[in-house]
Amino acid sequence: MTTTQSGTGAATFRTFAIEEYVSHEEPYYLPVKDEVELFTAAFREKVPVLLKGPTGCGKTRFVEYMAYRLGRPLAVLKEQPGGTPAPGSAAAHQGLPIVTVACHEDLTATDLVGRYLLEGESTRWLDGPLTRAVKAGAICYLDEVVEARKDTTVLIHPLTDHRRILPIEKRGEVLEAADGFLLVLSYNPGYQSALKDLKHSTRQRFIAIEFDYPPREYEAQIIAHEAAVAEDIAHDLAKLGEKIRHLSDHGLSEGVSTRLLIYAGKLIRSGIPARRACQVAVVWALTDEADVQRSVEEVVSSIFE
Amino acid sequence: MNEHIRSTEAALAAFAGHLDERYRGVCSALASRLSDAELAALGQEALKLANHSLRSWEAADELLRAAPEVLEFRSFEALLAWGQRGLELADYSSAMARSYFEAGPQVLRRLDDREAEEWGRLGITLYRGTWKSISLVSQFYAQSATLLEHLALGELRALVRSISDLADRSYDLALACLDLAPRSLAEAERADRGALIEFVSVIVEHCWADARVYLENGPALLERIDLAARGQYLRLIASAASTLQRQTYARFAEGADALAQMAPDSHCVVLRQAEALAVRSPSAAMAYLKSVPDVLARVTPEGLDSWFERGSDLLDATVEGGEAFFRLESSLGEEVLDGLSPRVELDRVADILRMYCKALTGDDVAIASSSGLAERHIGWISSDMPSTEGGSIYLPEAIRQYPDRERNFGLYKVFATHQAGHLEFDSFSFQYDRPGAVFGNSGRDRLETGPRPEGQPLTEMERFFDLFKDRQLASDLFAIAEDSRVDACILREYSGIRAALREVQEAEIAGRDAPESLPLREALVELLVRLSLDPEAELRWPGQLSDVLRRAAAVLTRVRAEPAVVEDAAEATIALYELVTSLPNRKPDEEGVEPKDWQTFQQPGEGQMDLPKGEESSGQQGGTPGPMEGGEEGAEEDRPYTSPRQVAFRGEFKPELVQLLQRLRQGGPQDAADGATMPVTQEQLQEMLDKSVEITLTDAEDAESGSPTGMFIENMLKEAEGAPQKSRQPSDGADGNVSAAEDDTPLAEEPRYFYYDEWDFRAGDYKPRWCRVIEQKLEEGTTSFYDSTIIERAGLINQTRKQFELMRPELFRKIKRLPDGEEFDLDAAIEYIADRRAGHTPEDKLYWRRNKIERDVAVAFLLDMSASTDEEIDKHRSGHPTDNFDDDPRRYLAWWATRSPGLTKPPKRIIDVEKESIVLLIRALEAIGDTYGIYGFSGYGRDNVEFYVIKDLKESFGELIQRRIDKIAPIRSTRMGPAIRHTTAKLLESDARVKILFLVSDGRPQDHGYGRDRTEKEYAIRDTKMALTEARRHGVTPFALTVDRNGHDYLKQMCDDMGYEVLADVEALPRRLPMLYRMLTD
Repeated sequence: MTTTQSGTGAATFRTFAIEEYVSHEEPYYLPVKDEVELFTAAFREKVPVLLKGPTGCGKTRFVEYMAYRLGRPLAVLKEQPGGTPAPGSAAAHQGLPIVTVACHEDLTATDLVGRYLLEGESTRWLDGPLTRAVKAGAICYLDEVVEARKDTTVLIHPLTDHRRILPIEKRGEVLEAADGFLLVLSYNPGYQSALKDLKHSTRQRFIAIEFDYPPREYEAQIIAHEAAVAEDIAHDLAKLGEKIRHLSDHGLSEGVSTRLLIYAGKLIRSGIPARRACQVAVVWALTDEADVQRSVEEVVSSIFE
Repeated sequence: MNEHIRSTEAALAAFAGHLDERYRGVCSALASRLSDAELAALGQEALKLANHSLRSWEAADELLRAAPEVLEFRSFEALLAWGQRGLELADYSSAMARSYFEAGPQVLRRLDDREAEEWGRLGITLYRGTWKSISLVSQFYAQSATLLEHLALGELRALVRSISDLADRSYDLALACLDLAPRSLAEAERADRGALIEFVSVIVEHCWADARVYLENGPALLERIDLAARGQYLRLIASAASTLQRQTYARFAEGADALAQMAPDSHCVVLRQAEALAVRSPSAAMAYLKSVPDVLARVTPEGLDSWFERGSDLLDATVEGGEAFFRLESSLGEEVLDGLSPRVELDRVADILRMYCKALTGDDVAIASSSGLAERHIGWISSDMPSTEGGSIYLPEAIRQYPDRERNFGLYKVFATHQAGHLEFDSFSFQYDRPGAVFGNSGRDRLETGPRPEGQPLTEMERFFDLFKDRQLASDLFAIAEDSRVDACILREYSGIRAALREVQEAEIAGRDAPESLPLREALVELLVRLSLDPEAELRWPGQLSDVLRRAAAVLTRVRAEPAVVEDAAEATIALYELVTSLPNRKPDEEGVEPKDWQTFQQPGEGQMDLPKGEESSGQQGGTPGPMEGGEEGAEEDRPYTSPRQVAFRGEFKPELVQLLQRLRQGGPQDAADGATMPVTQEQLQEMLDKSVEITLTDAEDAESGSPTGMFIENMLKEAEGAPQKSRQPSDGADGNVSAAEDDTPLAEEPRYFYYDEWDFRAGDYKPRWCRVIEQKLEEGTTSFYDSTIIERAGLINQTRKQFELMRPELFRKIKRLPDGEEFDLDAAIEYIADRRAGHTPEDKLYWRRNKIERDVAVAFLLDMSASTDEEIDKHRSGHPTDNFDDDPRRYLAWWATRSPGLTKPPKRIIDVEKESIVLLIRALEAIGDTYGIYGFSGYGRDNVEFYVIKDLKESFGELIQRRIDKIAPIRSTRMGPAIRHTTAKLLESDARVKILFLVSDGRPQDHGYGRDRTEKEYAIRDTKMALTEARRHGVTPFALTVDRNGHDYLKQMCDDMGYEVLADVEALPRRLPMLYRMLTD
């Protein structure tokens, strides 16, 4: 565990394992374009990254994968004071920790930075996830950042330029980011409405890597791996994905995610008939409109016997 | 004795008309049969008659004339008795007597003595003492002989009774009917006559005025009904007549028409069912009869029975509902039919198929009916075959091939998939210079030598087809190769559709002509079609020529294989063309061709994958370059080539036309290697159309215009401009529309049509798709009304505006004392600590947060633009004020208070006040930023509900809207229901949290056909109420505001638990409307 924290004792930190969480196995990710190189370069140069792309196309998986990849060489450099490696695993494999924050409408700056809690007669300060990531030198991944309130997004500005600092107003402190710290946002332009767009002052602090659903061949490979299904089934599922995505904005607000296709694949592997599996994992998951459901079901029944 | 005779004769001589001579003649004729005494008695009889009155000698003359004939089959006594009765008739009128005697011989032949006597008396029953009745009686006697040919005396008696009843109403009609009767009866079958007579008597009783029409048309109508069922039908009508009254004839004719459309052997069954209904409601029975053919078009005969049962049960529950059910005017009826019907209609599945095709192809494909494409006259002629013109997919309007819906829909899907396949697998992107993935472009290279003949071909397809002498054959072969390729691609990509496709393909093969009956070339083409449908099909082909078949099959096999593209289909076309033209187009048994050894082949293409390349064909063709020969010289007696039968599920495939359309739409060739972009000229089009085999102009088109191709070109160009792309399919969610107009000139706004159900409270059910709402933008006038209102009403406007602006700051409010929130509330925290220190239980709600309630309102104002809003307010008022206010003193006071100021101004109309209020509201709404739309409605009749858009919800306010307000004017009637439904539909498209429908009207709903008759209010009010209820059910808050002072009673009924207000004073509207709006949305 890469614990470079300061302050209170390690035991206290152990209960809040958020910035300690690292994966010990390499997550599966199939690079489609040059995203791996881009991210690696950004990490080296400490340039924050914005990941754009529709639901379930692999943004989160990509971050996990990159954290793992980037962690390996770094693990050698880092000291490991007293941290116990995960049981049974060799300490050799350690990725960067990722602090993931799922943003929502009510997410406030306080939630990210930290707040005072009353404790007995006195109060106690509690670091928020962002603060912890800054301290730990982790990758801070703000998922679906447009959902958060605008004042939240402004908060991250000083972290994203040359300063790499996080001011904690309430304590009158300024926190300098640890070396490994990288801010990564994800953002789904699909839901974009005028209300929920990212401000330009925020946007222009990130390099943006665009994601889309992988091309049919790639997606088939991913499905085959993740769902452990036969290649032809994976291929048909990928084909289904491609066809259904033709319907986004024409009945469907968003195309089917790779994740759903994988679920369908898993169901098929467990012996559910293909058409039924697609119905529950894809059709019904996608939409409630009867007409659209019917159309998608027709596509399913054309592809699967 | 002779003296007796002689004296009688002398007495007779005194009369005109030479009665004596007549008598003398009779005497000599009858001398041998009658004694002198008898002759004298006859003479006396005639004399009595002649003496009776002024013109009775004519009757006497007739008596004498008839006597010898009558005596042939009657005794002398009978003759005298007959004469005696004639004499009695003369008491009424000598004319009656005369026609009685005149008709005598013919009639008496058919009757015995007793009957003869009754016959005489029957005539008298028609007598009423007027000259008209006398002619009726005479007519009766004159017609009797013919009538008795068809009728027994008893039946005649019944007929006379009817005529007599009729005569009580109108002699002319009675006379006419009597006139018609023999002819009608002659036409009717013997067995029906009794029923017909009885029927006429019922008709006379209930709708006597139509009696004549029945007699005139009845037999012809009855003839269409099965012999065994005619009597049954007449009895049915007769039993219904008492209820139907004057409508009887119309129902009778409709019913007969309907029966004529059914199988004769079903008539009895259907009529029995109708009889069962007639007991409860004759209208329902007749409606049932009329609807049966329509219903049978949709369901099986068993389905008809269950439909009948359902309707019959409904009839027991509610008569009105049952009648509407059988008239096919109820939603329940539609539902039941839908459930029973295996037929799938395109309308209902178009959306599903559109999305399906969109998913498959990734393009915005529209789905439309084939007949629509055919009506555009741009080359497609079949109105029931699937096809595509590159942008849309055209499908038949309905499919009922199979007995269950599932399979019929499956057929639609097969159709759609094949057409989508053409788009997905790029059938129309053929490029001449692009090599195929399998065959390269050796064939094209080989055939094309030197510069192309004349002009630039317009399309790549045209350039390709130019290579062939027999264009039709080349076109057919290309279609086979390409369809085959597309089907193979579909089978590879969509294995789920395999079963359905196979089924359709097998059905297709089973229905095709046997190749043995065709000349050789056509037989080979036919076999290729079969192979394209099923590569494993069994083929019959002369064994001697097996090599040709094998090679051709091998070509198809390769076109079906994986990487083949459309250019490969073209190469295959060349290879197939060479193979096909190597055969003479004669029947094998015709002279010159020996092989008769038809054998069965299966999978002839397998295992021999070598392609007939250049060398092989050059052996046959002699290696001559240049356009391919269609047939060899010396084969003159060959039959002309005719195309094989079209494959139904593949429909029409016209790559050349599609490419032409694509080019016209783009305005130039896509990326032809050597073609510079230049506009298409008339001449080029003309030339191409002359060559192309994809166009067959029908005779009708030839006749319509002098130059058929001219009209065709015009249509084609129009099409390319994209003008009336889908004018006949104006669906609401029209995002599947193909191409929008590409020129910049704004097109005149086409009205859009929408259909809505209407609530029939009697039937307790909706009438499906009953009203047509025509939505259009209101014309634009000037902004003067808007400007002047702003100035005139400046004070009020500022006031309302301010009130509205006050609503804004409430949006961000800090809410304190929450268990959770953004931040500690300092006050609460201090209190908390203080409480603790003091030993109390502290309140733990220590947080505050900003409560952001966004104002999220969409409102639609629906203005009544009916003619009644034209009324002047002052006139309205000065009329009889007391009449209007007597039930409510407060309203009277309100009127009194506001009465004086307006008196000197020019007359203001209700509509002007409505307009003013709108201007005021707009000013206020723009301040607050709510989404709002303003609509007006009017119209006449259910298919013409006019819906005017003054400001659409999505439109932003501007000068355009100001101009439109100017044009708000009273138009016609008020059919509120559909207008409310349409507005609701519009509101539902908005995603605002609060949706409000604000109805501003001046009176009760009223329209032509909106209710049983013009005076009935109930129907219109109930429908309007239902429309408002529907709106509420969909989450729209309806509010009705009316300026009709009598409005209270119906508004209460219409809006019982919804918001409404009746404005006592019309002029209070501008002040009241914004206030109400605030209250509603706060």
